[in-house]
Amino acid sequence: MLGLWKTWKALEAKGIMGINRRNADYVLKYNKRHLYPIVDDKIITKERAIQAGIHVPEMYGVISTEKEIDNLDAIIGERSDFVVKPAQGAGGDGILVIADRFEERYKTVSGKIVSHEEIEHQISNILTGLYSLGGHRDRALIEYRVTPDQIFKSISYEGVPDIRIIVLKGYPVMAMLRLPTRQSGGKANLHQGAIGVGVDLATGVTLRGTWLNNKISKHPDTTNAVDGVQLPNWDGFMKLAAGCHELCGLGYIGVDMVLDQEKGPLLLELNARPGLNIQIANDCGLTHRAHAVEAHLAELAAKGIQETPAERVRFAQGLFGHVATAPA
Amino acid sequence: MRSLNLHLKVLITLLVGLGILITAYQIFILGIPLTEDETDDLWNIDAKVEFQASPREPVKLQMFVPPLNQDYVSLNESFISNNYGVSINRADGNRKVTWSARRASGKQTLYYRLVLTKRYSGEQPKDKGPIFRDSIPVEGAEKIAADALLAPIRQHSADVETFISETIKRVNDVNDDNVKLLLGGDASTPNKAKAIELLLSIAHVPMERVHTIRLAADVQQSPELWLRSFNGENWLYFNPESGEQGLPADRLIWWIGDDNLVSLEGGKQAQVSFSLNNSEMNAIRLAKLTDESTDADFLEYSLYGLPLSTQNTFQIMVVIPIGVLVILILRNLGGLQTLGTFTPVLIALAFRETQLGFGIILFTIITALGLSLRSYLEHLKLQMLPRLSVVLTFVVVLIAVISLLSHKLGLERGLSVALFPMVILTMTIERLSITWEERGGGHAFKVGIGTLVAATLSHLLMSIPELTYFVFTFPAVLMILVGFMLAMGRYRGYRLTELFRFKAFLKD
Repeated sequence: MLGLWKTWKALEAKGIMGINRRNADYVLKYNKRHLYPIVDDKIITKERAIQAGIHVPEMYGVISTEKEIDNLDAIIGERSDFVVKPAQGAGGDGILVIADRFEERYKTVSGKIVSHEEIEHQISNILTGLYSLGGHRDRALIEYRVTPDQIFKSISYEGVPDIRIIVLKGYPVMAMLRLPTRQSGGKANLHQGAIGVGVDLATGVTLRGTWLNNKISKHPDTTNAVDGVQLPNWDGFMKLAAGCHELCGLGYIGVDMVLDQEKGPLLLELNARPGLNIQIANDCGLTHRAHAVEAHLAELAAKGIQETPAERVRFAQGLFGHVATAPA
Repeated sequence: MRSLNLHLKVLITLLVGLGILITAYQIFILGIPLTEDETDDLWNIDAKVEFQASPREPVKLQMFVPPLNQDYVSLNESFISNNYGVSINRADGNRKVTWSARRASGKQTLYYRLVLTKRYSGEQPKDKGPIFRDSIPVEGAEKIAADALLAPIRQHSADVETFISETIKRVNDVNDDNVKLLLGGDASTPNKAKAIELLLSIAHVPMERVHTIRLAADVQQSPELWLRSFNGENWLYFNPESGEQGLPADRLIWWIGDDNLVSLEGGKQAQVSFSLNNSEMNAIRLAKLTDESTDADFLEYSLYGLPLSTQNTFQIMVVIPIGVLVILILRNLGGLQTLGTFTPVLIALAFRETQLGFGIILFTIITALGLSLRSYLEHLKLQMLPRLSVVLTFVVVLIAVISLLSHKLGLERGLSVALFPMVILTMTIERLSITWEERGGGHAFKVGIGTLVAATLSHLLMSIPELTYFVFTFPAVLMILVGFMLAMGRYRGYRLTELFRFKAFLKD
């Protein structure tokens, strides 16, 4: 009992945010319910992002009724790689990534051969809501397949690594690189077994990481060190993330982005309830940083100033960047 | 945000305060029993009046009956008599029943029956009585004897109370010559009372006779005489035989004054015999009964005012918030992962029918079989609705098979499974299998166990009969619960599991 109390006090001192605090102080406070559809539906997110001039993987087409499945051929056209996604899918479920096609068959990234009918069946499943959050009808989205930048080759296992930045009222507060592992089956979700690696907000250099709630410094599959890697185009990611606040209106979001080989940073999706393991990846609590941003906002509000995304990025980098890494 | 917090605090205080107040009012003011097992004594008093009626003469019999303005409440009062008219009237704090008949002959028997209990009396009227009286004129030897007795009584007493008890003590000293003279050789209680009255009247202390019945079962008794006097604030009661002060708790005042219990016209040899017996009665049922017979309706607007069958349903319903509270605590404070939010409560309700141990076994078997079916269906790539329908039908068939098997094996318990909510089971299977797909078998197992633990705990809590009774009788308790739930709504501390989840931070 006493041990637990000590743990509690120690976590509180470090400013570690618990689920209850995240929900009460951030999610419920800053995220208006009626704005949720913007982030829950990837198609709406994408449309909003395009309007705001934020780069997203190009959308080839949307299928929203069984009848429209017939249009699949027209949507794909001559492309040999593409991704089929449920618009309201959760946890990376129902995503079909086609890497190649030959004759009348398609090959997924994991090397499985699928027929045209199987893709149609998958889309039909998506439409009935098999993968959607509440089990209600959904739309299928066919989009550009992201090719991850070469930089991730050494520290990643299959799949597409993505970068998550937690953004509070437009201020990036913490960032993490999510690397798929053999256990996560190519998916970049931490609870599925992907690793999260903290990223310095100022420099874009990776810190150490977390895997299944533990701290790690090497990728479990490749055994390469995950820290000390310079992520290219870091400021691009930061600005993109900071701009997402205006895009959706939600005050506390997790912005998921990828680095495409050719197109650079692209916005994948937004999350209204970002997980808390990013704290372990960065070995740092969210509460203090969030309080610092809130204090800064109160200060600005008193002066009647509103900062641009670029200014916000500079503020966050100045305050939260340049973390001294403890020697391994 | 701050105003919201204040708002919430005010609301919580209001709810909890109101809940406590209402419950306290019910317990302390209305005296509603705290547990269902509480019993109260119920007294059945029969007064049997027998007399010989004179032929060709109208009969009129008057008898005192308890005034019932004390600590007792009558639940039922009946006058059993053939061919007699009955009327009741009140006079001087007494109640009198009058039986009358134009013609009666031979031996007559009349009954008066009173069922009473010592509960739920309304407001006590303010006592009032005389504090002065004129002396009864006495002359000659009696006056001298009285004066001789009064001198030491005055000396040994300080106030009205001690004066009276001293007087009673003296009068009971039958060897005293003065007393012998006053009693005139008759040492019966009424005669003693008369002597006491005489002595007190000389000192201008008023006194009344009180005729009581002892609430004791199966004892032959006739009304016992007590004396009382008003000291300006309260009535003081004295036993004329012993000088003992204070009316014992088991005495019921039948009538007050100098008159006889029965007065009879048109008859003779009136005799009254009392028989008492008591029974214990469930306190809450008693409360319901007294409620009907008094003008105060404490329970009228409580859940006890509902028809009995509805009450049974409500007894289950009112504890659901308690089950929900368990889930709330386990999830938000403990961090236990369960399937859905209220699925555990629904499963806990199902356990009511199946009993706990059997329920857990059935739940596990059906869920396990359902999961294996679901994983088989996964290969068929069915759409959601048809797939769910198949699983549901499978669950129904499974339940039928289990019922049949256990019936054949002589386990009647198995039949109760039919009431296991199939839709809940189906949804449980579906969600569990989705969890399995998305987050792996280990996690699904964890969630399943969590659900069972939460359901078991809330079932155990919800099936405590004392708790059910308490919430059902004092529904204001639910307000306190809501207050707590509201407070939980803004709880921002860690969950118990988070202390372990974030352990990595402390390893440096």
